[in-house]
Amino acid sequence: MAMENEQDEIVRETKEDTTKDRYLTFEIDNEEYGVDISNVIEIITMSAITWVPETPDFLKGVINLRGSIVPVIDARLRFKKPEKEYDSLTCIIVVEYENYTVGVIVDTVNEVMFIPEDKISLPPNAKLKYQNKFIKSIGKVGKDVQLLLDVDKFLFLD
Amino acid sequence: MADFSRESMLDMFIYEMNQLVEQLEQLIIQGEQGYSMDDINEIFRIMHTIKGSAAMMLYDNVSKTAHSAEDLFFFLREENPQNVDYSTLTDLVLECVDFIKNELAKIEASENSDGNPTDIIARVKAFLAQLKGEAPADAPPAKSEKKTAQASTSTKTDSAGQIEAKGTHYNAKIFFEEGCEMESVRAFTLLQNIKDAITDVVTIPEDVVADGSEEIIKKEGFQISFFSEKTYDEISDLIDQTVYLKGFELSSGDLKNYKVVLFFEEGCEMENVRAYTVIHNLQGYCTNIKHEPEDIIDEAATELIRKNGFKFSFSTDKNYEEVSKDLCNTVFLKAIDIEEISSEEEEEKQEENELKKDIQTVSETVSVQGDNVGDNTVRQAPPVKTQLAQKTEKSPQAAAPSAAAQKKAAPTQHMISVNIGKLDQLLNLMGELVIAEAMTTQNPDLEGLDLENFNKSARQLRKIINDVQDTVMSMRMVSLSTTFFKMNRIVRDMCKNLGKDVQLEVVGEETEVDKNIIEHLSDPLMHIIRNSVDHGIEMPDERKAIGKPEKGTVLLEARNAGGEVIIIVKDDGQGLDTQKIFNKAKENGLLKKPENEYTEREIHQFIFHPGLSTNDQVTNYSGRGVGMDVVMNNIETVGGTISVESEKGEGTTNILKIPLTLAIVEGMLIKMGGAKYTIPISSIQETFKAKQDQVFKDPDGNEMLTLRGDVYNIVRLYDFFGAKPEVTNIEEGVLIMLENEGQHVCLFVDELIGEQQVVVKTMPGYINRVKGISGCTLLGNGDISLIIDVGGFFDK
Repeated sequence: MAMENEQDEIVRETKEDTTKDRYLTFEIDNEEYGVDISNVIEIITMSAITWVPETPDFLKGVINLRGSIVPVIDARLRFKKPEKEYDSLTCIIVVEYENYTVGVIVDTVNEVMFIPEDKISLPPNAKLKYQNKFIKSIGKVGKDVQLLLDVDKFLFLD
Repeated sequence: MADFSRESMLDMFIYEMNQLVEQLEQLIIQGEQGYSMDDINEIFRIMHTIKGSAAMMLYDNVSKTAHSAEDLFFFLREENPQNVDYSTLTDLVLECVDFIKNELAKIEASENSDGNPTDIIARVKAFLAQLKGEAPADAPPAKSEKKTAQASTSTKTDSAGQIEAKGTHYNAKIFFEEGCEMESVRAFTLLQNIKDAITDVVTIPEDVVADGSEEIIKKEGFQISFFSEKTYDEISDLIDQTVYLKGFELSSGDLKNYKVVLFFEEGCEMENVRAYTVIHNLQGYCTNIKHEPEDIIDEAATELIRKNGFKFSFSTDKNYEEVSKDLCNTVFLKAIDIEEISSEEEEEKQEENELKKDIQTVSETVSVQGDNVGDNTVRQAPPVKTQLAQKTEKSPQAAAPSAAAQKKAAPTQHMISVNIGKLDQLLNLMGELVIAEAMTTQNPDLEGLDLENFNKSARQLRKIINDVQDTVMSMRMVSLSTTFFKMNRIVRDMCKNLGKDVQLEVVGEETEVDKNIIEHLSDPLMHIIRNSVDHGIEMPDERKAIGKPEKGTVLLEARNAGGEVIIIVKDDGQGLDTQKIFNKAKENGLLKKPENEYTEREIHQFIFHPGLSTNDQVTNYSGRGVGMDVVMNNIETVGGTISVESEKGEGTTNILKIPLTLAIVEGMLIKMGGAKYTIPISSIQETFKAKQDQVFKDPDGNEMLTLRGDVYNIVRLYDFFGAKPEVTNIEEGVLIMLENEGQHVCLFVDELIGEQQVVVKTMPGYINRVKGISGCTLLGNGDISLIIDVGGFFDK
């Protein structure tokens, strides 16, 4: 018993170490975004979506993820960008947030990036465009800029 | 490790206790009109077991409460007194039960079981004393005086053999109110007051007026030990007169020494921990405890105890019967040998007093047979009067309760208890199995092949899977009786409080429902029954005036109907006030169509809207406008429906329809707009193709259809869901006649695919409740099919 607990501890610790300050980056409409990797469960390829009536447009429906039913959101539609036909690059990022498991359809997934805390700044105050509201902060890696997703708002903001 | 073992023991303990308490409650409610001897025996037995188990788990407050109730029923059983106030008795015992329940809830929530039972115990004792005809009202109800009169029963019974010239020996411990000051002087006064009645006084502190004694009295109380010819109650009255008395403990009887050798059952493990528990229990009322091996916490002790038995000796004022009763409660007890050692001055009595009882384990056959267990337990405490006669004879009965106590939680020998989590898991796997079977036998690779042998085997496989599934489902089925009988208590309590006279009639309580569903039923039923008793049934004099029997009746009925269970709650009260409900609904802006279009039935359904209570007065039980909507929500969670019918002056009938099980439904797979949907077969009346000339439209554009002279509404599924249609021509698609609560509608879909058993999965919480969808299921090919909620088509 005690042994197992210890091992659990170790696993948890290493897990924390590997997810800290790491972001999964993905592309929507040629724009690069990042999401905190601790929210990400897995990345899967596009699979058959069952449409559910009386749901907002961006909620494309539900998929069968190895026996569990997972709702999927099209990130393009969520950001009010034009819809695009799914192709071989289209991916579903399965995120878990506050006991909800949701799939997010993105154009493509790029890489896992390390962005230290001091390279992250808040978005500018002026709310110029609507997509601003889903962005928690902005990370700088070299010359590139990553828009870091606010998962809470992304999932729950009306 | 220690933690771990306690956990599983705790689980078992909670499970057992909950069962016992439920059983107990039923018995008490049934017995209120007058207890039969069997009831008393049974209640006594249950209280006894609760006491034992609680003591073993070191929940002293629970154990003490049960003990006091047990004393009460012991007296009822032995003396069979006449003119017992059964109503008060029931109240009192129910309070004990409530206390125990409350503590159990705390234990279950991993909180400390910290309830203080002294008040209730005192009242039970007072009631017992009253029954015995001694010193009535000695501790009136709700008096918070602390009084743990341990020897109330033993004083009288003991005295026969023990009264000598100087009378009975008493020990008293007295506490004064905090901050009353001058405790030593008060103690001295007390001694002066009672000195005429007592002899051979020994006090702690010895010299009450000496320096420092005040501190001791403050901290540990003032202890006196003395002899007196007066009875226990007289002494207790004397002490009670003391000024600034906070509380006192008084016990009587001479200290007796006992020597015990105790063996645990083989293979019970952790003998040392068990031994420790025994000692811990004794510490409550014994002094001078010595045991061998001395260090029982040491691992080596386990071996010794296993080999030589656990030997210990102690002194107490309890008599042999009480001691042996307590010790026999030890769990996993195999054998016990208790010997009373007389003190020197009673040497001449020693031979006579020599007590020795070999107690043998109850053989397996006895312990698993429910009936025998009951009998043995009942006999386990022979009346003290006969004590001398059987002192030297073997008394196997005395051992029965210990083994019985453990085994009797299981109602019959064929029952085992299983963790509900495992059953849930089994059900999930069953679901997977059903899907996997469909995936295999309907595999697209097999299409077009001629597979006679394969099909034969596949049929056999399906048959077996069906059988397994039925068995798994039946394992989860629980009869409604427990839930129903709980309602007895509610009706009873409400009658007492409201001054009404209502009887609850229960019919069909043996009907079985899935465990998950039963959990959601208790609350709604409680609300409905409260409503019936509170709003429905009139006061007795009102009822008499309008020519109804004074006693109101609430009928609680359950019966199976296809894939559903129908539960009916019917009262013969005043019925719903249609006008009042209508006005309330209007006030709350609930009306959706012209006022005169509402039928009485429709108006009645408004009571299920949140915030609508027609009772102007808020009572303890109802009138706050929450309740019926909670009922509605609860019933909807389990996929059921509720409706109400009422006739003014005649009564109200609530009808609940609950699915038998949540998990697997027989479904009809249909296709619409390229997607597959599942409709529960139980709501489908028929399917048919329509001809264009059967169909017509009303001026509002509602489509209708005539069939065999009746007219039905048509709902096009793609319209209802706002989906992209594939088939719009009514002659190309299929119509499905759906039934819900006596109403019909024809659903238009593209095509029928076939019947299939489906495993219901709930929609993910992220998606808000969709009207017309009750859940979803996975098809053989891994696709998701939404399950249609037929009720959704009717409440537009």
